[in-house]
Amino acid sequence: MRLRQVARTCILILGIVCVAWIFCNPSTTAKEVSGRKYPGRIPVRFWHMWSAEWKEVVDRIVDKYNKSQHKYEVIALSVPGGADTKFILGAMGGDPPDVMAQWNAVIPTWAEGNMLTPFEDLMSPSERAKFERESYPIVRRVGQYKGKTYGFPIGLQVKGVFYLPKAFADAGIREFPRTWEELIADSNRMTLRDSKGNIKRLGFLPGSWPETAPLFGGGMYNFRSDRLDISNTRNLATIQSLVALRRRDGFDQIQRFQSGLNTSSYGGGWPFMSGAYAAAVDGPWRVEQIAKYAPNLEYATALIPPPVGGIAGAGLGGGNFMIVPRSARQKEGAWDFVKYWSGLTDPLTAAQFYVWGGWLPPSDAVAHAPIYQEYIRKHPQFGTFVRAISSPNIQAQPPVAYQVFVNDTAGKIEDQALRGEISPEQAVDRLQSSVGREIARRKRLGYDE
Amino acid sequence: MTTRTRRDLLGLAFISPWLIGFLAFTAWPFLRSIQLSFTRYDILRSPKWVGLANYQSLLADDETFRHATWLTLKFAAISVPLAIVAGVALALLLNANIKGISVYRTLFFLPSIVPTVATTAIFVWILNPQIGLVNSLLGAVGIQGPAWLTDPNWALWSLMMMGLWGVGNSMVIYLAGLKDIPAYLYEASIVDGASPVQRLFKITLPMLTPVIFFNLVMGVIGALQYFTQAYIMTSGGPGDSTRFYALYLFDRAWRYSDMGYASAMAWLLFLAVAALTFGLFKTQKRWVHYAS
Repeated sequence: MRLRQVARTCILILGIVCVAWIFCNPSTTAKEVSGRKYPGRIPVRFWHMWSAEWKEVVDRIVDKYNKSQHKYEVIALSVPGGADTKFILGAMGGDPPDVMAQWNAVIPTWAEGNMLTPFEDLMSPSERAKFERESYPIVRRVGQYKGKTYGFPIGLQVKGVFYLPKAFADAGIREFPRTWEELIADSNRMTLRDSKGNIKRLGFLPGSWPETAPLFGGGMYNFRSDRLDISNTRNLATIQSLVALRRRDGFDQIQRFQSGLNTSSYGGGWPFMSGAYAAAVDGPWRVEQIAKYAPNLEYATALIPPPVGGIAGAGLGGGNFMIVPRSARQKEGAWDFVKYWSGLTDPLTAAQFYVWGGWLPPSDAVAHAPIYQEYIRKHPQFGTFVRAISSPNIQAQPPVAYQVFVNDTAGKIEDQALRGEISPEQAVDRLQSSVGREIARRKRLGYDE
Repeated sequence: MTTRTRRDLLGLAFISPWLIGFLAFTAWPFLRSIQLSFTRYDILRSPKWVGLANYQSLLADDETFRHATWLTLKFAAISVPLAIVAGVALALLLNANIKGISVYRTLFFLPSIVPTVATTAIFVWILNPQIGLVNSLLGAVGIQGPAWLTDPNWALWSLMMMGLWGVGNSMVIYLAGLKDIPAYLYEASIVDGASPVQRLFKITLPMLTPVIFFNLVMGVIGALQYFTQAYIMTSGGPGDSTRFYALYLFDRAWRYSDMGYASAMAWLLFLAVAALTFGLFKTQKRWVHYAS
């Protein structure tokens, strides 16, 4: 009995010692955080949302920056999940990163919340002039809110059509369609089905309603009058066309077909690579993915053809932007890193980063760098997107503080329309009224917009 | 200091880690959210007093709020009774004296100890309309299964069906309740000539009502706060067909940075849960039988 008591006491003491050791051991997390390569330099904490193969590219860029100078050390941290929430909590707690790469959609909301540093406060007059002179129009449209630049571009995005020339040739189509209507008609001939009518290859997968609307002369925001413009005939024509296409191919069949496909954005998971689509609208980063994971795939790219009477070279632009929190501790270091990455300091060096990631550059200065031109020669499919991004017809997403709400609601209502639950007319009305109610609610609560 | 006071202080000292955690991370946010629900608070700036505006907007203008509330009530009204019936039925089966019963009990209980996220991830595959297990089995007998999670007509039912997966948890409690029923009641009823069905409805179920009541209350509270599975599997879609109350609350708080509005939603939910629980307690006099 006594022996058992002694054993119990020993186990209890051992347990307490183990717990104390885990909590007090200096060689756990604290050491990892402080394990810096350049301890003598000023630390610049950088958060980004990339993971997997993209994280490797980001790490290479950070490494190159750290080697390029002796003052700062950029410490990169990947926060792929819940990055928005973590950033807000960090900023609220007074401990945000010094700089963060974010999607453009958060810029208006966070700028409205007085959370971000305008880059005008960080740029010298000459840097500002250079930025305004060299960057593409879409860069300034997307990164600005109420006339100030809160997001600095490091990688842009615009959509184009990836297609399989063989699928077109097999269907008797000799050249890529010049109009939206031709593409829709041709895609029907390229859709393959099994004996039960199940889709085996889809002829054409279009982009979303907001992405397609600019081609029809529409869009969710009128930049001339500086206000939301949802309920217009061009937006209606866009959703009518998308619904008609989905109805023709079969609501249920497409749903089933797509649910069996890999939806991962990473690696070789994109279904186009395995021939699931004859043509699909997607972004420029796919070129690099195909080069890595499906190097033998014979494919081509093209600008999305506009409908008859539509606008050529139109689309919706966006991408990754650097933001500097208002409460950042090391704004100068953050700005130095942003300049380096974006090519404002040295476009020839920065061009290399855009080649590594297969990203669209923010300016012609980077795009015309020899290494970038070499990349386009090697991957001619990428040239389509470089041409697209410089187009003056590329639109930005609505620069309003409730942009995320508008995007979510548009996506939800588009989904309902594509399923045939509501008509295209109802879709436009519903989006208009939902956003209208949200604006009214915000006004009642005293928000500026 | 008296011995009793010293003993009390010692006790408080031992539970102080929990007490401090409770006060800092539960009680304080709970009370603070009352204040926030009367403010416009976007997390990024200081809260601004707006009176009842959040509540007015919610109750008068917000269609998504109304939809989410209705959907959550519908989910609770169907899934909770379903889980009770399934749990009791399973417990009755596993109460039988047959060989290897402990193995069966373990097997049925096992799913409930698998983490929710892991279970949910598996069900995403099981319910895949093209390559999923359920539709493959249905296809083997010539039935084309629906697009479970991507069809708005089926998504809610799929989540309800998935909820039965964790019924092992309540089953164990029912089983304990069954074991607690005095054997002499059954012996007396057999002597009186009661049939098995009569014994079930006149003895077993009435004697099990305290346990059923407990599971009912816990089930209603859980169903009204349903979040994780919908967040992972459907994110509220397709359309708004699985936009549960807690999911909409989360979106308002963190996606749209509308913490004041979300706090108001949280308090309406709290009041609804409290009212329903109170209502259930009021009804228990009529149908819950305590042995004492």
